[in-house]
Amino acid sequence: MAVSSIKTNVSSAKVSLSPSALAVRRFRKHRMAMVGLGLLILLALYITAGVVFSHGYCAPIGQDVSGESYANCNDTSLKLRSPSAEHPFGTDVIGRDILARTVYGGQISLLIGLSAAIMEVALGALIGLIAAYYGGWVDNLLMRIAEAMLTIPNLFLLIIGARFFTNAIPNINLFGRELTGNVIIIILIIGFTSWMYVARIVRANVLSLREQDYVSASRALGASDSRIIFGHLLPNTIAPLIVSATLGVAGAIISEAYVSFLGLGVQGATATWGNMLEGAYRYLETAPWLWFFPGTLILFTVLGINFIGDGLRDALDPRSTRHI
Amino acid sequence: MKYNKLYILLSLAVIASMALAACGAAPATEVPATEPPAATEPPATEPSVATEPPAATEPPAAEPSGIATITFTQEPDSLSPMYTSMWFSSITRQFWNQGLWTFDDKNGAVPILAAEIPTVENGGVSADGKTLTIKLREDAKWSDGEPFTANDLVFTYNMILSDKNTVNSTYPYADYVASVEAVDDHTAVVKFNEPFAPWLTSIFVSDILPEHVLQPVFDAEGTLDNAEWNKAPTVGTGPFMFSEWESGSHLIFKANPNWFVQPKLEEVFIRFVPDDAAQEAAILAGDTDIGVFLSSDQIEKLEATGNVKVPSVSSGYAETWFLNVNPETAHPAMLDVNVRKAIALATDRFSIVNDLLLESVNPVPATVWVGTPPYNHPNLEPYPYDPEQAKELLDAAGWIDSNGDGTRDKEGVELVLRYVTTTRELRKNVQAVVQQQWAAVGIGAELRNFTGDIFFGGYAAGGPMAIGDYDVAEYSNAPTGFPDPEASSNWLCSEIVSADNPEGGNWQGYCNPELDALLIEQASTVDLNKRIEQYQQIQQIMYDDVVVIMLWSDPDLWSLNDRLQGVRFSGAMPFWNSAEWFVEP
Amino acid sequence: MTNYILRRIAQAIPLLLIISIILFTLMQAIGDPIATLGARIPPKPEDKERLRRQLGLDLPVFFIDCKTEKLSLSPGNKPSLGTKVGNILTNTDCQFSLYNQYLVWLVGNDWRMVDMDGDGLGDVPGKRLGVLRGDLGTSLVTRRPVVEMIADRLPNTLILMVTVEIIIILLSLALGLYSALRPYSAFDNIATGLSFVGFSMPVFWLALSLMYLFAVNFRRWGLPYLPTVGMFDPAVGKTPAELIKHMILPVATLSIISIAGYSRFVRSSVLETLGQDYVRTARAKGLRGIIVVMRHALPNAVLPFITLIGLDIPFLLAGAVVTESIFAWPGMGRLFIDHTERSDFPILMGILMLIAVAVVFFQIVTDVVYSFVDPRIRLD
Repeated sequence: MAVSSIKTNVSSAKVSLSPSALAVRRFRKHRMAMVGLGLLILLALYITAGVVFSHGYCAPIGQDVSGESYANCNDTSLKLRSPSAEHPFGTDVIGRDILARTVYGGQISLLIGLSAAIMEVALGALIGLIAAYYGGWVDNLLMRIAEAMLTIPNLFLLIIGARFFTNAIPNINLFGRELTGNVIIIILIIGFTSWMYVARIVRANVLSLREQDYVSASRALGASDSRIIFGHLLPNTIAPLIVSATLGVAGAIISEAYVSFLGLGVQGATATWGNMLEGAYRYLETAPWLWFFPGTLILFTVLGINFIGDGLRDALDPRSTRHI
Repeated sequence: MKYNKLYILLSLAVIASMALAACGAAPATEVPATEPPAATEPPATEPSVATEPPAATEPPAAEPSGIATITFTQEPDSLSPMYTSMWFSSITRQFWNQGLWTFDDKNGAVPILAAEIPTVENGGVSADGKTLTIKLREDAKWSDGEPFTANDLVFTYNMILSDKNTVNSTYPYADYVASVEAVDDHTAVVKFNEPFAPWLTSIFVSDILPEHVLQPVFDAEGTLDNAEWNKAPTVGTGPFMFSEWESGSHLIFKANPNWFVQPKLEEVFIRFVPDDAAQEAAILAGDTDIGVFLSSDQIEKLEATGNVKVPSVSSGYAETWFLNVNPETAHPAMLDVNVRKAIALATDRFSIVNDLLLESVNPVPATVWVGTPPYNHPNLEPYPYDPEQAKELLDAAGWIDSNGDGTRDKEGVELVLRYVTTTRELRKNVQAVVQQQWAAVGIGAELRNFTGDIFFGGYAAGGPMAIGDYDVAEYSNAPTGFPDPEASSNWLCSEIVSADNPEGGNWQGYCNPELDALLIEQASTVDLNKRIEQYQQIQQIMYDDVVVIMLWSDPDLWSLNDRLQGVRFSGAMPFWNSAEWFVEP
Repeated sequence: MTNYILRRIAQAIPLLLIISIILFTLMQAIGDPIATLGARIPPKPEDKERLRRQLGLDLPVFFIDCKTEKLSLSPGNKPSLGTKVGNILTNTDCQFSLYNQYLVWLVGNDWRMVDMDGDGLGDVPGKRLGVLRGDLGTSLVTRRPVVEMIADRLPNTLILMVTVEIIIILLSLALGLYSALRPYSAFDNIATGLSFVGFSMPVFWLALSLMYLFAVNFRRWGLPYLPTVGMFDPAVGKTPAELIKHMILPVATLSIISIAGYSRFVRSSVLETLGQDYVRTARAKGLRGIIVVMRHALPNAVLPFITLIGLDIPFLLAGAVVTESIFAWPGMGRLFIDHTERSDFPILMGILMLIAVAVVFFQIVTDVVYSFVDPRIRLD
């Protein structure tokens, strides 16, 4: 009968997907992105569930401890032990367990990395978009502000931040951990001193985009400025933004190591991957386990984020040549 | 075809790099076979015994040859003794601007430009201790051949006191010296206002300016601030003379032909290497003969190379906890001597030294004067590690943990002390260890770290110690006049820092009239035995009142490559015998 | 175009002035220069006071000067502007003063008598001419003119940084381009992996590792080795061969890290451009692959790259703080960090203003170049 044949035709026709569904599908097919996602999920597990590994006997206190107390338990008689059954990643200069410290340190490093990157990309993208779209004196003012910020060395800001604001910012309690105000300062300073690069790139991109036909078309149709900026220009400038964001997270984590190297890092006995690397600096040859584990974790984080970034860029770019 | 090209390029690259590397090998040098100058005798009873001046007249067996390389971790501000008190600057003066006398490796005084060390016996020191008569060597010459005379001493004195010169320090000339006169070309008389005990380590020890070079400059420009000599002091008094100073890179001194002892080395090359780990790599690779300011955990690794030694030399430094007892700024618990005692008993400094340093190099001392014998108290032992007794003392003082949070408290105030220090890795580690040790007896610690310039900043700049925003401050300190024990400004009542007295040196706010009297008295006690006795009393008072807590002795750790021989480091003047250094062939 | 350039230059002057004010103010919070003058032996209190006066540090810092007083914690105190900083109560009091350190820095003080002996009355005319007349001041630490000290270090930094920048540009372009042309191939994956490893390493760690490997260990193992620190070997002297040999490790350190980041950028940029329609059209027209890439895709792909490089060039003057410190290379980076630790304002202001001028200048250049390379851009 004719009806049944029509039904068959309809059911065998391809269902067209919405753009976001298309993006998700492309992302899932991207092999490296999946590897990256896997890495990041493993890392997230490591720093959250990994706390179960942080327990043991702390001789100076004379009792079993677990959690962050174990990560900070220092027994100088156990200093610089190479990896063993009791301490799978070895011990550091004052006898603290490195495995536990990488778990707790990872929490802080990733917090710093992600927060600083989000801040720098958001700020940079916003400023770049507005500057490029409006042009004229707005562009001028914003870019001159960017130049002024570029000339302020972040070493100064770090010193000043460490000096004046460490005591003024109270300790924050995040997911059960007490973080000194120092962490916020580092995030803010890294964010404030890195947005200029993102802004320049976004601005450069949008400057060429705004002359495109679809932008004039939108304007002719009466679209508001913010609709054009966020609805048309932003999505088309996604690729460099994503690359900046991924490089930004890695950069922020490495900046934190640099900040620790200058002596202005996270205060107190709190571990971060960055200050663990800094503590390993003088023991490069004699105690490689001091830098190997935090370094490898940083590497995996950078790899994971960058692969995901690749996948995101390919998935979100409507002109991408990758076939589904 | 293209593989051939690649192959050739590759081999060229390899050959080129090998050629470059081969150029880098240090050339071998001849070693002249002369006797070292007459050795100095160890002091019998006094620390300042006169000894033979170095033998002067033997002609050298061979031309000076060889280069000694030294790494400095900081660049001197200036080479002029007037414009800097920096250690890295003053030690270079042992090469090119030696003074009346120097201090050997046993901290005994050795006359250089003076003919002999002035004492009461030889009439150099007057009976009332207020006049110093210094006889100078007759054959002493500046490196340009001009004779060295007493007029140079007078000129130096006048320049330091002139308000046209922005000198770094006028100590001790402004406050303690009444006059400096040249009786004749080779005799100078220094008169003090009061008998001045630390004269041996502070009067013209190595800061003499050449009058014949700088007087014309002063006359022409009205000041010595911009003199060429400050940057390139080509005229000096020492076995070596200044040759070159490239900012940020290096300093070069070459052998001085006009010195009465012929140096064996041709050149001393000082390179500025600010990074500790890079200095270590340079020592391991043999790129430097002498390295400075090592720490005890590097000793094993360096000596394992087989051709590097790590001599340790006391220069009076000891890592110390300065306790804030100023009632306006300190934690109320700090004002109680029993709490301070409990802090000392609760800290296991011994295992810190054993595990993080080396007990043989950095033992735990009892008092500040551990590095300046014979002033060191012979009987006092450092407070032992006794956490139980610490707990008892704290209980008795009323500090108990009433709210069960792990830290003691009293009248609503938690016993959490501000423990501040610099950003050095070792200190941060010690902070973490101490925090844990204190937690075991119920004392909480808030750890803070500051970079050096902020940490040591004055009251006006808001330095944490100066404004009193601390309870326990840790850093390495020595008596300023080493090997003289003078260190009073730290504890005099009149030196307490405050808004009215922002430049005061007493940052602990400690005031004890009995101690004050002794500190003032010892500064003018010229009789050695009497002064030793006064210091014993001073140390007993400070020990009983727990004014400071000593962590470890902090001698200077040098690295010495076997290639450079004849080096004997001194605590006060490390390079005092540079004329005797020679390089192995 | 000329109008645009002139306008930008005219805007640069107030910008630089504002930057100098910001930097000068920040400088004061860095630390106390007098505190570190004695290093191991701190200067005596009377000397500190005298030095402060003679070096001109006793003047108020800026036109508006706020003094914060530390008050004791006794209950009777009622400050007007109270702020709690740690455990110390403070009171802030602000005043206007025309004659201040910033003014002296800008226009000098030779038009006024300076009090040298502390009696409150001027004695001698000041000696400073001020930045606007070309006198960047004298270092508080070495008492040498700032211009002289910068001139000493600048060539060393330029030798290092220009070499590094050239290597970075060439290798990033090459690597990024090749990776983009063969995405997800073995080469791309290995290059990506290696560049991530390079990117994950903090510069101090990489510098020391290279030093240990090629200088210390190669020597131990009898292989041809590189020197550890410095610009030359004292036994040989300062020859070009020595300079090159000593430059290899610091250049490698700086290049590796930057190439890692930049090549990723180029790769992503080229990949995106290659996906564009006009490239597909060019290929469909039958143009050879290499021409498509070089003439059509590459110019558009490197636009973001030009932006990054443009931002980099002024900072070549700044040197590399950590690398220069570790390899004991006497450059501007060393000058900066050594004098930051000593709170030596004149030198720091000199270096930073130099960089500020360079940044402002090169931003103008970059914008102009950009508008030439991409004809779609209109500069208003």
